[in-house]
Amino acid sequence: MYEKSVVADDLHVALGGDPVLQGFSLSTAPGEIVAVVGPNGSGKSTLLRCLAGLQPVERGRVTVFGVAPADDAAFWRDVALLTDEPAWYPGLTSREHLELVEAVHGTPRMTAETALGLFELAGRADAPPQNLSTGQRQRLSLAAAFLRPSRLLLLDEPERGLDASFRVRLAELIDAYAAEGGTVVMATHDPALADRARRVSPAGQATA
Amino acid sequence: MNPPHSPTPASVRQFLRQRRGSAGALDRYVTWFGLALVAAIAGKPVSSLIASMAGQPAPARMSAGLALVLLAFAGFVAAARAAGPVALPASDASWLLLSPLDRRGVLGRTPRVLVVTAVVAGALLGLGLLAVLGAPDAFLWRLAGALVLGVSMTAGAMALAVLEQASRVWDGWLGIALTALVTLAAVLSAAAVAAQTARPALTGAGLATGTGPLPGSGSATGTVASAAGIVPAAVHGVLGAVGAVAATPPAVVAAVATAAALVAALLVRRARATLGRMPARAVLAASTRTAHVTRAAALLDPGALTWIAEDNHWRARRLRSRRWPSLPAPAALAWHDWRRLARRPGRLAAMAASAALPAVLSRALGVTAAAPSSAAVAVTAGAVLAGALAMAAAVAAGARRDADNPALSRLAAVGLRPALAARAVLPALLAAAWTAAALTGLTLVGALPAGAWWAFGPAIAPALAAGALRMARRRPVDHSMPIIDTPGGAIPTGPVIWALTGADVALAGCLPALVALLTPPDDLAVPLTLQAVAGATALAAYLVRARKPRNDR
Repeated sequence: MYEKSVVADDLHVALGGDPVLQGFSLSTAPGEIVAVVGPNGSGKSTLLRCLAGLQPVERGRVTVFGVAPADDAAFWRDVALLTDEPAWYPGLTSREHLELVEAVHGTPRMTAETALGLFELAGRADAPPQNLSTGQRQRLSLAAAFLRPSRLLLLDEPERGLDASFRVRLAELIDAYAAEGGTVVMATHDPALADRARRVSPAGQATA
Repeated sequence: MNPPHSPTPASVRQFLRQRRGSAGALDRYVTWFGLALVAAIAGKPVSSLIASMAGQPAPARMSAGLALVLLAFAGFVAAARAAGPVALPASDASWLLLSPLDRRGVLGRTPRVLVVTAVVAGALLGLGLLAVLGAPDAFLWRLAGALVLGVSMTAGAMALAVLEQASRVWDGWLGIALTALVTLAAVLSAAAVAAQTARPALTGAGLATGTGPLPGSGSATGTVASAAGIVPAAVHGVLGAVGAVAATPPAVVAAVATAAALVAALLVRRARATLGRMPARAVLAASTRTAHVTRAAALLDPGALTWIAEDNHWRARRLRSRRWPSLPAPAALAWHDWRRLARRPGRLAAMAASAALPAVLSRALGVTAAAPSSAAVAVTAGAVLAGALAMAAAVAAGARRDADNPALSRLAAVGLRPALAARAVLPALLAAAWTAAALTGLTLVGALPAGAWWAFGPAIAPALAAGALRMARRRPVDHSMPIIDTPGGAIPTGPVIWALTGADVALAGCLPALVALLTPPDDLAVPLTLQAVAGATALAAYLVRARKPRNDR
């Protein structure tokens, strides 16, 4: 068992010549929930991409479970990333998208059927995702991220498009994930979600 | 630590095939039947075309042709680099890429598509090489050598593009290759044009006598040698080298083709080895571009492709704000196109350099004012008008943006006609300058008789600006238009009308110039006057008839 799930040390990142992260540091332990907060453009999404190894850093060091994000099978077995809405397969239903995640990952945390129930999509299981509302599509994306096995969950604005009651459910699902020993790092603008987590700001200092 | 059950890309693809259904036997039959039909129809013309490549043109013509083939190859390299080239369908990128699945397996069919693309483009490149260099002897050997060389070049370039996408270690190699190709093409073009511009003067002075073949050149090099004592030594050297390349013995051609194939095979092998380590971020970025392109293709809306290239360019740039000049409202609105052009000086330089291409094309086709060949003259005249329209359209992005999304123009509250008139100024100026330069080039190389042909540039510019604006503001393809059955096959009128929108006004407004280019008159005054009137009328008529797009009324 690793003592630290994520360590980011003195990160510096610039996009198109503009500095986005300047000396940001973060350390998380298994079972911890971290909320990355800050105004638009403050580097929250960039930080998540750095932790996922999708954004090269100019200076500094990132380790996930003791090693640099390697972009290989072992890394993606441990790390689940949810950012923008994914591109849906034409001709597949919502249930089939979740079954696809089961087929890809072999040992899911829950079955597609359970996920459909937990994410309140049972009534829309046979609808193509393109026919779902914005909030329902976001729930389907979240269901896919929670269904697959992982030890680190990186969520970029998971509350996007969700109604108030489901945001409460989402907070409970995140708590349950952390209780199993998983680490959650999420960029969020939702004060209620952020209140249940340790807050950090890409400006570099912990806010709570 | 491996999970107890390890899914493979093959098992996941099988899952997807089962759920989504795969192509049936009838679909496959239709595909193969279509391919066989194309091969049967194209077989005879292509074989006659290949057979006509025996023999050898003059070195200046070879040099011009070779320059165009190299530019086409540079275009292939640039396109491969811009495409990724390793990309996935957007849904595969979303669901399979950031997963424990084997990366090489997830990329699946992509390498096969790249190989087929490289082989087809390489075969065309090889045929192009043979067409411009000719085959004085051992035709089949030279044909085989050209095909192997062409395929090696495209396969090697594609492999380099994959390596560059996979690793920073290979960064810059394709850039160097592109620079070398464009430089070589520029040198060959300059030599071809310089040899021709010197010749009329020499011939007039009675100096065009042969001084013997150049070293290493073939039988056709006597004409070059005629000017050998007077044209600069550099031009003589370049044409001599081209002649020497064309006259290379078949054994040397075979050796060069074999060496190129070996290098290409090594590069392809290395590229194949990197597929398993292809970074997710590189594939994600390429897949996003592919998704846009696929969407544009699926909607049959080629106009959308323009925005992909445009947005990709600006996303990667850091800009510095500058104060907007104090201008009347319509001109202030149109200033966007001027600033955009000024912020891409490299593009402006490439546009300026492309004015030499009609002259190079005329040299490759062997067009001369003394003995015009109608087909070659038509191709050259078409290239001038198409090039000028392309220049005008390249700086009409503001009108296109307004037509696609009128929110900004609503905010500006400028009338449609004043806005369009202001937006026509830059396309007209650019088209005038480009056409004047292109026609001067054609006059210098002797493809046009002496005269003030450059004056057609300003005369056709208003018509080209009208055509460019109409092209920029055309609506997406209307697929509800009827399909006309003809003996040659069904013609969907929607895409045809979409493609002709803009070109129609430009062509109608440039008719006097086109007639003059096809059948050069002794006196240019009348066609020039007619053209000036036609050009101004085309623009005025377009502005008077311009209407707001349906969605903005």
